[in-house]
Amino acid sequence: MKGLVPLLLGIFGTFAFSWAGLILIPNMQIGQLTPQSDEEGSDIYPMPRSGMVERGRHVYAANGCAYCHSVWIRPEYAANDLERDRDYAAKVPWGVRRSAPRDYIFDRPVLLGKERMGPDLANMGKAAPSEEEPAPGASQTPAPSPAKLGQQPYTAAWHHRHLYSPRSFNIDSNMPAYRFLYQRRPVGSERSADALELTGGDAPPAGWEIVPTFDAQCLVAYLMSLDQSHPLSEVKSGAPAAAPAGSPAAPGGSPAAPAGSPAAPAGSPAAPAGWPAAPGASPKSSPPAKK
Amino acid sequence: MSAPGIPLKESTIPASAASDVEQVERALIDASTRVPVLMFYASAIIWLLIGTVMAAFVSFKLHAPDWLSDIGPLTWGRMRPAHMNVMVYGWASMAAMGTGIWIMARLCRTTLRHPLLLVAGGGFWNLGVLLGVSGILLGESTGYQWLEFPPYAAVVLFLAYLLIMSWAVLMFRFRYGEQIYITQWYLLGAFLWFPWLYAAAQLMLFVVPVQGVLQAAVTCWYANNLLFLWLGAIALGIAYYMIPKVIGRPVYSYHLAAIGFWTFALFSSWTGMQRLVDGPFPAWMITASIAAMILTIIPVATVGLNHHMTMQGYFPLMRYSPTLRFTVFGAMSYTVFSVVGVMISLRSVARYVDFSQASIAYSHLGLYAFVTMTLFGSMYYIVPRLVGREWRYASLIKLHFWGSAYGIGLMTLMLLAGGLAQGINQDTPSLPFVESVQTIEPYLRGRSLSGILLTFAHFIFAFHFGLMLLGLGRASTVPTFLNPVETEGSETHL
Repeated sequence: MKGLVPLLLGIFGTFAFSWAGLILIPNMQIGQLTPQSDEEGSDIYPMPRSGMVERGRHVYAANGCAYCHSVWIRPEYAANDLERDRDYAAKVPWGVRRSAPRDYIFDRPVLLGKERMGPDLANMGKAAPSEEEPAPGASQTPAPSPAKLGQQPYTAAWHHRHLYSPRSFNIDSNMPAYRFLYQRRPVGSERSADALELTGGDAPPAGWEIVPTFDAQCLVAYLMSLDQSHPLSEVKSGAPAAAPAGSPAAPGGSPAAPAGSPAAPAGSPAAPAGWPAAPGASPKSSPPAKK
Repeated sequence: MSAPGIPLKESTIPASAASDVEQVERALIDASTRVPVLMFYASAIIWLLIGTVMAAFVSFKLHAPDWLSDIGPLTWGRMRPAHMNVMVYGWASMAAMGTGIWIMARLCRTTLRHPLLLVAGGGFWNLGVLLGVSGILLGESTGYQWLEFPPYAAVVLFLAYLLIMSWAVLMFRFRYGEQIYITQWYLLGAFLWFPWLYAAAQLMLFVVPVQGVLQAAVTCWYANNLLFLWLGAIALGIAYYMIPKVIGRPVYSYHLAAIGFWTFALFSSWTGMQRLVDGPFPAWMITASIAAMILTIIPVATVGLNHHMTMQGYFPLMRYSPTLRFTVFGAMSYTVFSVVGVMISLRSVARYVDFSQASIAYSHLGLYAFVTMTLFGSMYYIVPRLVGREWRYASLIKLHFWGSAYGIGLMTLMLLAGGLAQGINQDTPSLPFVESVQTIEPYLRGRSLSGILLTFAHFIFAFHFGLMLLGLGRASTVPTFLNPVETEGSETHL
């Protein structure tokens, strides 16, 4: 086998071909996406995140959360992601539509995740049903585990307690506890507002309290910012057909968010577009969102 | 030193020429590569042990999540990328570079000039890996799979690599003779692909970052090509060198070898995106990768056929030669690895196994059963020629082989079967999610068992290598056979 020049050309050529095909052309296709907005230029999605959320993203990356939790939802024709409920009892779905490239344009690093030892988190921040809209199915089913806290599921307090002691919610979970993100200190003049509500073996001795470090607060802010429920024009939104009145699930280019409560702060757990949470409603049966 | 090597190109060199001149030439080449190659091997084996211990953490913590979880650097989510990076950059890359340099020198029939500069390059590479792993453990991981090293460590690693690579390429420049053997194709390709790949990925992630999901595409493209075009290419090159060399017979068909090389370079470099099937990407990217994955059957078939025809009639030699046994195991695993890869990338299967532990089985098939076993084989061949001693105990080699073979076999079975069960439960929305975690748990315990076997094998190998380094090998003119040689004829070939 002779001829060095063809060999070197071939080695370079195959590499360049693969780079151009899998990186360069996709970059031309989806590399310069911009946020979408409605006709008046309002209702912009997605929005850049706050500093705490961005720091939380790095805490999430540094502690390897992405090796167990994905942050993307597959379409309904490919898998049953859209039919899976985050909380089995409360019927809080994983998502209402598949993930699209536009959902991630401000993410750096982007943490899609390729394994699911734990549930998908694409809509984790959206998983808190708003208080004025109790899930219709909740009365028929056993109380969801977070309700043991006597508060709204998936609040910041829930996340902190879950990160500190994952098996206090589900004994079968194999998520590691992130206690090194929390600080144990003596109670000062009065108990700190953000001290964790712990029971049983997790509770600190009397006179002590467990408080989140700044990294833990950022991580929770990031988790609660994860939300892909906003409709995207390029993706079919599979909102449940039997949506309750006043629900934002009505398909259309102008979602209910501005009409509902335009002043909702970003990252608020009680953001306006709460889950309609109609049990038994299949996303497949819903009408596609129009352009 | 005894070098009962068989001339690789029998057609061009008359049998009588494998004489004193050749023996002296080989001895000179081996002497010039002794220090750097042994240094690369020693570092690689230390990283292998570190990575093995980390693997134990990763494996046990999955079914015992509270074990040592209160200490930040020991948390599962940091241990796992640390383990992967130690194995890829510390163990596999260093061992592959060591073997690559030695084979390159032998095939180019040129001595290694200024070996101490190569030692310096290896030292910097070690420093880069050390910095990177410490960074990950201290919570500075970048979050990009296989590129978790903080950028400062990546810079050290890259500069060290340039120093190392230029030596391999320089040797090629000063080669003796016009013939370029197929192993040199693979080695030259790997040594050139890696820096392009690494630089391209670093540039597109950290210097001029691409937008959003394209970062994930870059990561997948990089990780996949690192496995195929860097470690895989070197392992294939080793197999093309070791198998004919040990059995003393030329490669069956150069034609097939050429077809195998070009289809390998063309198709395997296009795979990778199948890991993101139905993700937030244009569907054509995924489909192109799945198609390329299926097409990799062509290089697998040609390479496999070539090795098989070369080995035809010589398979009994695997009973005696440690090198042949490990290398053939690696070459066969390449086929298994690719077939499993094709199966789990088909959309109908990927739906279930995409997020499951089956993908871990796949990467271990590639990185361990294929690449690592081939590297072990090359080390069993090269180390005696560098230290001038033969391996001390055949029993230790056998223990190493069976520990590794049963270990990786058990791990693959556990994770494939468990992953399938886990994935089916994941895609059954009527089951609570935690059910899928429950399903895989017994399999994860089985995987930990396989890890114990592998740990055992690696420590035995490290001990044996340590004996060789200390000059405690056997002083003999006959290589160490795994079993006493029964037939007269085979002795001349080993």
